[in-house]
Parts: sequence; structure tokens; C-alpha cells
Amino acid sequence: MSLSLLLEKYDVSTDEGLQKALNEIEKEETEVDEALSGVLSRASLLEGRLRTASQAYTKLTEVKTDAQVAADMVDRTANLARDVSAKVRQLDLARSRVAECQRRVHDLIDLQLCSAGVEAAIKAHDYEIGAAHVSRFLGMDPGSVAAARARGAPDPRDAMTRAANTLREHLIRKFEEASRKEDEPSVDRLFRLFPQIGRAEEGVELLAKYLTTQTEAAIRRACIITDVGSEACVFADAITRVVEAAGAAIERARNAHLVSQAYGLLTTTIRILQPSVCAGVRRVYNELVAARRLESDPQRTAMSPLSVEPVLTELALIHSRIWLYFMFLRRKTEVDANQVNETEKKLCMEKVEKIIADCDLMRTAQDILGHYLTLERYFLEESVNKALKMATPQVGVTTSSLVDDVFFIARKVIRRAVSSGSVDGACAVLNDVCGALEQHAARALRRWLRAPPLEPLALAPPRDPGAPPDAAGDFARSLNRDLDAQRLLYLAHMNEAEAGAEWAERLATEACAAAGGLARGQAERDKLVSCAGGLASAAAAFRAAHDLALGALAQAVQPRLGAWAHRLADPHPHTEEMEDDADALPQALEQFTETARAQISARSVDTLLLAALTEIATRAEAAILHNKYDREGGLGVERRARRLAGWAGGSVPAARERCARLTQAAALLALELPAHARDALLPTPRLAAPHAKDILARRTDFKMEEIKRLKL
Amino acid sequence: MEDYKFLFKVVLVGNAGVGKTCLVRRFTQGLFPPGQGATIGVDFMIKTVEVDGEKVKLQIWDTAGQERFRSITQSYYRSAHALILVYDISCQPTFDCLPDWLREIEEYANNKVLRILVGNKTDREDREIPRHIGEDFAQRHGMYFLETSAKEAENVERLFMEIAVELMEQAKCKELPKYDGSLGPINGKTTSVGDSSCCLRS
Ligand SMILES: Nc1nc2c(ncn2[C@@H]2O[C@H](COP(=O)(O)OP(=O)(O)OP(=O)(O)O)[C@@H](O)[C@H]2O)c(=O)[nH]1
Ligand SMILES: [Mg+2]
Repeated sequence: MSLSLLLEKYDVSTDEGLQKALNEIEKEETEVDEALSGVLSRASLLEGRLRTASQAYTKLTEVKTDAQVAADMVDRTANLARDVSAKVRQLDLARSRVAECQRRVHDLIDLQLCSAGVEAAIKAHDYEIGAAHVSRFLGMDPGSVAAARARGAPDPRDAMTRAANTLREHLIRKFEEASRKEDEPSVDRLFRLFPQIGRAEEGVELLAKYLTTQTEAAIRRACIITDVGSEACVFADAITRVVEAAGAAIERARNAHLVSQAYGLLTTTIRILQPSVCAGVRRVYNELVAARRLESDPQRTAMSPLSVEPVLTELALIHSRIWLYFMFLRRKTEVDANQVNETEKKLCMEKVEKIIADCDLMRTAQDILGHYLTLERYFLEESVNKALKMATPQVGVTTSSLVDDVFFIARKVIRRAVSSGSVDGACAVLNDVCGALEQHAARALRRWLRAPPLEPLALAPPRDPGAPPDAAGDFARSLNRDLDAQRLLYLAHMNEAEAGAEWAERLATEACAAAGGLARGQAERDKLVSCAGGLASAAAAFRAAHDLALGALAQAVQPRLGAWAHRLADPHPHTEEMEDDADALPQALEQFTETARAQISARSVDTLLLAALTEIATRAEAAILHNKYDREGGLGVERRARRLAGWAGGSVPAARERCARLTQAAALLALELPAHARDALLPTPRLAAPHAKDILARRTDFKMEEIKRLKL
Repeated sequence: MEDYKFLFKVVLVGNAGVGKTCLVRRFTQGLFPPGQGATIGVDFMIKTVEVDGEKVKLQIWDTAGQERFRSITQSYYRSAHALILVYDISCQPTFDCLPDWLREIEEYANNKVLRILVGNKTDREDREIPRHIGEDFAQRHGMYFLETSAKEAENVERLFMEIAVELMEQAKCKELPKYDGSLGPINGKTTSVGDSSCCLRS
């Protein structure tokens, strides 16, 4: 409390007041003293603190300096690090260069070592080591040598190349030695070294030559035929042995190639081997030609068809064996070439095709096929001629198996041609078969069918009701056995012609199916189909022969048909035998049909009956226009016509229409009154109005004017 | 059924190397094949031509001239409608062999076959057979005659077209029942010329 305040508060003028003020002041003094001493006591504490603080400050300054130093350090380290990584990179580069240098140095050292090593290996007869050196040389970085040369060093390759050549010469010599000694293990061992010294093809050639020599010996053995006269397929067997020996050699080469991974080189082997195979087969072929007398015309040697069959089988077999061998070459080349790229593969396939096309074995195969075809043609012609001779109509013979025989022969020769494996062969035989069928078999049938015997199929004549049965005639006919035989034979030939047409067509289908597998490519398939198609013309020739016979049969019954037509139109019926009279024609036809069905095909019978009914109807209609009728006569005609139509309806549906017309004509004849004519023409008029009127005019009891007035 | 009305088989024969294959390829493909190899067996090609607005299919059989294929080629004579016998005008031996070929034709071909003699390679400078010699030969043996060059496409089209025309004429004038002895009501059929056996044969 300030003094002024004290003075205000207390009345200092009074003692008491003064006292009080004093007290107050004293109290305050104490308080201040206390506060002062408190403060004083804290002052030392503060002082201490202050000291600490000042000390700390000094320290902080030091720390700051240190930190600065540290920061500088870090900066410098970073810079350093950057420098270091750049250095490291340089170092890497330097090291790789060093490595390269080292390799080159090694290469160069090796090169010297190699050439020395090769020479040493040659001396030591350790060709594996030698080849390994060369292989190393071949695998060497060409830069090494170039670098060495660039520094002016002498070309280190010269020595190596010399060494490699020496090694190669040694290998070749050794290989040839081993070949001579037939030292198989050495041959195999040495063969494997050629790809290593970069001479794979040379190795393949050497191996091929070795195998060829070996195969030649095998072929010589295979060619020996002890029993030339034998009928068995001795020549085919010999040729099979020859191509099998060749096949074995090729397999052997292929396996060796496989081991040393020499791919795409099989055609080289085949090229070298092939001439020996060709020569071997040619040798057997020459013997075959002499032994089987193939050069001479078979016609002149007059061999029997029977005796040429084994030769034919053998020739076809030989051809197929050679063909199989060619297929084998193609297949093996393809498998071998599967390991190389497409372009090279194509080249390989072209090479093998060329080898096959140009080799003498192909020519031999063509020669064999030529002989086969000549002989097969002879066999075919002779056999067909023989069949024809046997089928030639003879007294008393009533059956024929010509068509069976010739088709048996045809199938046999086609099958044999297919067995040769040659499309051209199959085509040529098909052509010849077509010729034989058409020009021999079908023509012969046609010749025989052109001269039918009397009434090959007889239709009973209408009997005169008054006359007794023609017992004498029947008896005479039964005696004429010869004629019956002729008729039977004629019908048999007719059936054969029909069967021949069917057979020819079936044979074409069969041949296409059988030979289709031989064709390589569309062109060959087309050729086959076209040649097999030639059988269609053979079929046409048979069919024509059959038609000729049908025509003859129809012709033969013409007179009887005419007689029946007249009977049908007869205006003077024999009323006492009305039923018999009406049924006579259907009965005769039924009998004819039965006989015919027993002898010729149903289709032929139908054709014949249709022709017969058409003939009867036409002639009967014509006859009606020449006769005159009373009602009764007309009724008779109508009855007969209806019976005929009834029979035809059941037996010859195709003739129904024709018979219906005749029935209408007959109905007109049988009318009670001309006015009924309209009804007679129902439901469908089959006759034109003027014609219908002409028919009505045949009735003697109808008036002309009435007929003319009719509206039809 | 294919779209043609007539089908004719034409067969080419003659010595090896006279140019049969080249003639066929010139006609069917319009080219002269370089390095044409010898024909093996028989090749066959088809070309459809038009004559008087009608399609005519020519089936052309190109035979191998080399002797060893003779038994194959002989089998094709019989069904031929036309035979083209080719020689090389620059090679006397090919002409000298013609009588042998005619014998073959006599033996194996149909006697009504259309026969054409062709002297090929007229483009060559070294002609050995004068034209009239060939012509005479053809006339003496009842053959048509033509000189061609497969290389220069000379007369090749004409050769085959004339054959087509001639064969078609023959076919048309014989468009009657193929086999004689007409059958009255039973056989009213006439030959369909489109079928493989044309009416040149009896
Ligand atoms: N200058 C010329 N050369 C031709 C002509 N036609 C063919 N030749 C050549 O004659 C050679 C034989 O031709 P091909 O057509 O193969 O003879 P090819 O008659 O078919 O012979 P084969 O099939 O063996 O019967 C080939 O070298 C053709 O180039 C031609 O018109 N003129
Ligand atoms: Mg040719």
C-alpha cells in the first residue's frame, strides 16, 4: 500500500491512526522482507540456471559446427560415390576387354596347340582328339585370327588348315581302309568324325560308297536264280531280294546319319547306291526276258492262256515290288528331310523324284509293264476267244455261260493289273477289257441274236373252234428237239446280253474302287475314271444286242398277233362257246407269259407284252374298220376286248391305256342304238369323233344319217 | 450331266520328241513349255470348245512316243474318234517311221477313225521334209494334213477346231439308231451322242 493510500486510510494525525498506519507499514515491511528474502533465495537458483543455459549455448554452437562439417562430408561422399560407380563401369568394360583379349590369346595359343595337337593326334592315330581340335578350330571366333593378323602376325590359320586337311586325308584313308576290311566299328567311328571336321556330306558319300560295295555283294547273291525253269515266281523273288538289300543299306545309312545328326543328306546315299540296284534288277530282268521268252510275240509262240498266267502274275508282282521300293525311297527321304527347313526339304523331295525318274530301274519297270501288258492283252484275247468258241451255238446245246466266262476273265485281268501298282497299267488293261467285251463278246452275242430260230417264244394260234386240237402238229413239234434247243439257246444268249450290260457297269465301279488307291494325284484319278468309263460303251453294246433279241421275239409273234387281232374283230362269233371264245386270247397270252417268264427276265417279258398288246389292239382296230357287224357280232367283239383289257390290267399295267381304247371301240360296235354312243365313250373319250363314227358305221343295222347327226 | 453335247476322244501318236505334248499344251493351256520332258505312258487333258454354238468336249490323250510305252499307248487307239499322227519336219527319221505308225493304227484303231497327219515345228530353219512330201503321204493314206508349230502357235488351234467340226458333222449325220436292224415298236431309242461311245463305231 502506498504511503498516500495509507495516509488516506488512516488518520495519521491521530496516534491511533498513526499507530495503525505504522502497524500497517510494519506489516507490509515484514511482508516485503519476506518477499525479498524469497526473491533473493530464488536469485541463486536463477543464477545457476543461467549458468547452465549459457553453458548449453556454448555447446550448441559446437554442435552446429559439427553438423555443418557432417553435411559437407555427406555431400562429398555422394560425389565420391558417383565417381566410384562410373569408375566401376569403366572397370567392367576394361575387364570384359581383358577377357576377350584373354580368349583371343587362348584362341591363338589353342590354334597353335590345335594344329600341333592335330598333328600329334594324327601321329597317335587318335582321330577323335584330332577331330575335336578341328571342331574347336571351326568353332573359334574369327575375330581372334583377324586381330592377330591385324597386328602383323603370320596367319595362324594356315597351319591349322593344313593340319585339318591332313586329318581329313587321314580320315578318308582310314575310312577306306576300314571299308576294305569291312571293319564295321571303325567305319561307324570314323563316319561320326566327318561332321565334326565340317565334312558331313563327304562322310555321307564315303559311307554310301562303303554300303554300296557291301550291297553289291548282297545283290550279286540275290541275283542268283537256281531254278530258272520253275513256274514259281523265282524272278520276282530275286528282284525282291535285290530291292530289299538296297532298302537295308538305306536304313543302315539313315541310322548312321541320325547318330551324327547329318540330316537332309539321304538323297546323296540313294544317288550313290541306286546304280547298283538298277544293275542288279536289270540283270535279273534280262534273265527273266530270256527264260519267259518275253521278247517273242506271244501269238507266235502259241502259249496257252493257262501257261501265261503264272508269268503274268510274276510280272505284275515284280512291277509292284519295284513300285514299293520307289515309295520306300520317297518315304525315307521325307522322314530324313523333316529335320531340315522347308526349302531344303522341298529340294530333297525334288532330288529323290529326279533320281527315281531318271534311274534305270524306272526304265526296267516300264519295260516290265510293257511286257506285262502285251502278254495280258494276249491272255485276254485268247481267253475271250476260247470262251466264245465254247459258247458258239452247237446242235443240242441249250445253255451258255459266255458272259459269266468273259466277265470272270475281265475281273481277273483287271485285278491283276491293279496288283501291278501301276495306274497306266490298270488304265491300259481297262481299255483292252472294254475292247474285248465290246468287240468280241457283245459282238458275238449280237451276231447270234440277229439270227433267231423259228418262233423263239411261241404264242399259241387262235384255234378254229370247229377244228379238233392240232394233235399232229403238236406231235411234230415235240419231235423237233433240235429247234427247241435252238430256241432255248437263243433265249439264253438274250439273257446273257442283258446280264452283260449290267456286269459291264458293275465292273466299271469295281475297277474304279480297286485302282483308285494307286492314283497319285488328281490327274491319275481322272485318267482311271475315264478309262473305266469306257465300260459304259461295252454296256451299250450288250444292251443293243439284247434289244435286237427283243425285237426278234416281237417280230416272231407278229403273225400270231395278227391272227388273234382278226379273231378279236371277228363279226361271226361262235355263240355256243361264248365264254371259251372270249377267254381264248387271255389264255394264250397267259401261257405265253408263263413260258416267257421262265426263260427271260421280267423286264424283257413286260416289254414284249406291251409291244404285243399294242400290236393286237392296233391291228384289231384296223380290222374292225374292214368288217361289218350286227349287234350280236359287236357284242362278241366287245366281250373279247373286255376280257383282254381285264387280263392286261392285271398283267401288263403299261398296256392298260391302249386296251381301254380298244374296249371303247368295241363298246361302240356293241351298242343297242347309235344314240348311246356318247355313253360308250365315257368317262374319257379315247377315240376322236370321226373315228368313233367310222366304227359305228360298221354296224349294218345303224342308219348312216343317224350316225352323222350324232354329237360326240 | 456336264454341260456339253458332244464328247470326242482325240489321240496323238508319233515318234518321241516330235512335239505332241507341246501341241497339246499349246492348245489346252496356250503356252509352249520350256524343257518339256518326255511323256511317260499317257497323259490326258480336256478342253471344251464351241462349234456352231454347241459345246464340244475334247478329251485329248497325249501318248508317249518311246518304244517301251507302245503296249500302253496301243490300248488307247480303239476308242479314239480322231488320231493325230505327228512327225517333225526337221527330222527325217520321224517321217520315215510313219508307215510303222500306220500299221499300228490299222491293227488297233477303228477303221472309221478320223486320221490327221501333222508335220510339226514349222518354225525351224532346218526343214528336212518339204511340205508337199507330207501332203502326198497324207493323201495317199486318206488322211487330213496340216503343218504346225507348237512354238509359234501356228495352226494348232485350227488343227483341233477342224477335228471338232469334222467329228461333230460325222456325229450329226449318224444320229440314227446306233445298231442296225431297227426294232420296230420295241426299240425306238436313238443314240445319245453325249454318251461315251459315240456313233463313229458301228
Ligand atoms: N522349234 C520347235 N520345237 C518344238 C516344237 N514343238 C516341240 N518342240 C520341242 O521338241 C521337243 C520335244 O517336244 P515334246 O512335246 O516333249 O515331244 P513329244 O512328242 O511329246 O515327245 P514324247 O512325249 O517323248 O513322245 C521339246 O524340246 C520341245 O521344246 C515346235 O513347234 N517348234
Ligand atoms: Mg510327250
